[in-house]
Amino acid sequence: MLEDLGVTQIAAKVHDGELSAEQVAAEALGRIAAFDGDLHAFLHVAGAGALEQAREIDRRRSRGDKLGILAGVPVAIKDAICTRSLPTTAGSKILARYVPPYDATVIERLRAADAVIVGKTNMDEFAMGSSTENSAFGPAKNPWDTTRTPGGSSGGSAAAVAARMAPCSLGSDTGGSIRQPASLTGTVGIKPTYGRVSRFGLIAFASSLDQIGPFATDVRGAARVLSVIAGHDPRDSTSLAIPTGDFEAACGRSVRGVRVGVPDEYFAEGLDAEVSESVRAALRELEAEGCTVTPVQLPHTSFAVATYYVLATAEASSNLARFDGVRYGLRVDPANLPGSSRAEARDLRAMYGATRDAGFGDEVKRRILLGTFALSAGYYDAYYLKAQKVRTLVRRDFDRAFDQVDVICSPASPTTAFRLGEKVDDPLSMYLNDVYTLPASLAGIPAMSLPCAPTRAGLPVGLHVMARPFEETTMLAVAAAWEARSPARSLRPPMAQPTTSPAD
Amino acid sequence: MTRPRIDRELVLHVAKLASLSLSEREVDRFAAELGRIVAYVEHLDALDTRDVPATAHVQLDQAAWREDEVRPGLSREEALSQAPRVEADGFAVPAFVE
Repeated sequence: MLEDLGVTQIAAKVHDGELSAEQVAAEALGRIAAFDGDLHAFLHVAGAGALEQAREIDRRRSRGDKLGILAGVPVAIKDAICTRSLPTTAGSKILARYVPPYDATVIERLRAADAVIVGKTNMDEFAMGSSTENSAFGPAKNPWDTTRTPGGSSGGSAAAVAARMAPCSLGSDTGGSIRQPASLTGTVGIKPTYGRVSRFGLIAFASSLDQIGPFATDVRGAARVLSVIAGHDPRDSTSLAIPTGDFEAACGRSVRGVRVGVPDEYFAEGLDAEVSESVRAALRELEAEGCTVTPVQLPHTSFAVATYYVLATAEASSNLARFDGVRYGLRVDPANLPGSSRAEARDLRAMYGATRDAGFGDEVKRRILLGTFALSAGYYDAYYLKAQKVRTLVRRDFDRAFDQVDVICSPASPTTAFRLGEKVDDPLSMYLNDVYTLPASLAGIPAMSLPCAPTRAGLPVGLHVMARPFEETTMLAVAAAWEARSPARSLRPPMAQPTTSPAD
Repeated sequence: MTRPRIDRELVLHVAKLASLSLSEREVDRFAAELGRIVAYVEHLDALDTRDVPATAHVQLDQAAWREDEVRPGLSREEALSQAPRVEADGFAVPAFVE
């Protein structure tokens, strides 16, 4: 069933009583049990809780209650998003036993829309990474080829949807952590405009960049999940009271006359030739749909990686100061370490240091050090302030380009899924993998990835669509127009082959 | 301007600011890795940004204001539920005053 049905179809069938929410939840849990041994997309499966939540939805339906627009839809949640009574580790040892006493706003909204939370997904520790190999609990695998990464940091959420263990999931995107894994797994992933979705209950990485967004098997499904989680929340002062627009209605809208810009800088050195050709083929199809396709310039693109790694690590070093062994998470008392003195055992700072050294993985430490350095006396102007100024230049690039075009299209990632282990020893080459997703993060604009034609080896390729702030509807219209023509539409990884013919 | 040398001393200084107790091996490795990353970041120097304002945050000019009202939050019990050590209805820390 989940091989064939997306978010909107499941909700319709549960609504009409053609499927019970319990049946759907049981199938999702069954698929997780069958495939997650290989994929490790999940860090925690909700099991009994998901079934109970589904039965309650079925009871309410039989009583004649009106159900929400995600009635009975299984959803997997990135483990950086707080879920009451469900473990939330952010992929870190320091939070290995953390069970939040509250729900994130997006979780409250999903529950209110009658979605069923089936589990928490694997991720790079504190969302720092592009492959899930920085997870303290071991990497997730790509359903298309389990020797390859599903991308990251929201790799588990992407893999869960690609393998049809759930038709949708939530991730978070700070520099590409939704769009890159969507690209590498052949799923649809949306990073909304900064401020569109409440970050209350998202374990913070870089507060001026973090944004929660959906993965789904199709554009319309992702649009529906976005419509549920979007909107102002008084508990997050950066969430904006901007009307959300009808995201779902935008899917299927004509794109005749829409101006599509193609940045020259995104088709440069380092881009895989097959990825380039797949994206260019998608652009030709959009032209056939009536879009006008023109080159645009985003001249500061090559400075985005450096800018991002200064700003994101600076913000992270500040956000992660809260993990001190006092209020939640791991605590390591130096008294219990070999060779420590009695004085150290009573030292608060020694407890902080020992806790953080034991609790954080290498990449998190590396970024805390880099961020602390960039903010430290003597270096602040040369690194942090400089990067903030270049961020302005990157934003201006987009402002100018969007004077001429309505959306900007590019590859989402320069390559298809790389092999596990291929980049772990070279942090800088891992960072450079995010070259196409980082600029939109710095500018705060909405952007998404959706599948285009796979490579000859059968690996997914993602089309990246970016739009002006708060113009998700234009972005979704273009995405849906391409999806309707995309040869990737009917392609599934081996464990999720359709059980019915496409005509059904 | 003159650029810093990312050496052991600088890593130890930054680690202290960040409350990280690194092992000797980590100090050496991070010094080498951070050196390469910082060298990469320095290509931002190619841009003249003298007259460019800094971006700290995007779209905040459109943020909504709200009244500063007292609202229910977590109960004391819930707030303490995840603490590694609790004493006398509060978070317990090592003694830091004699």
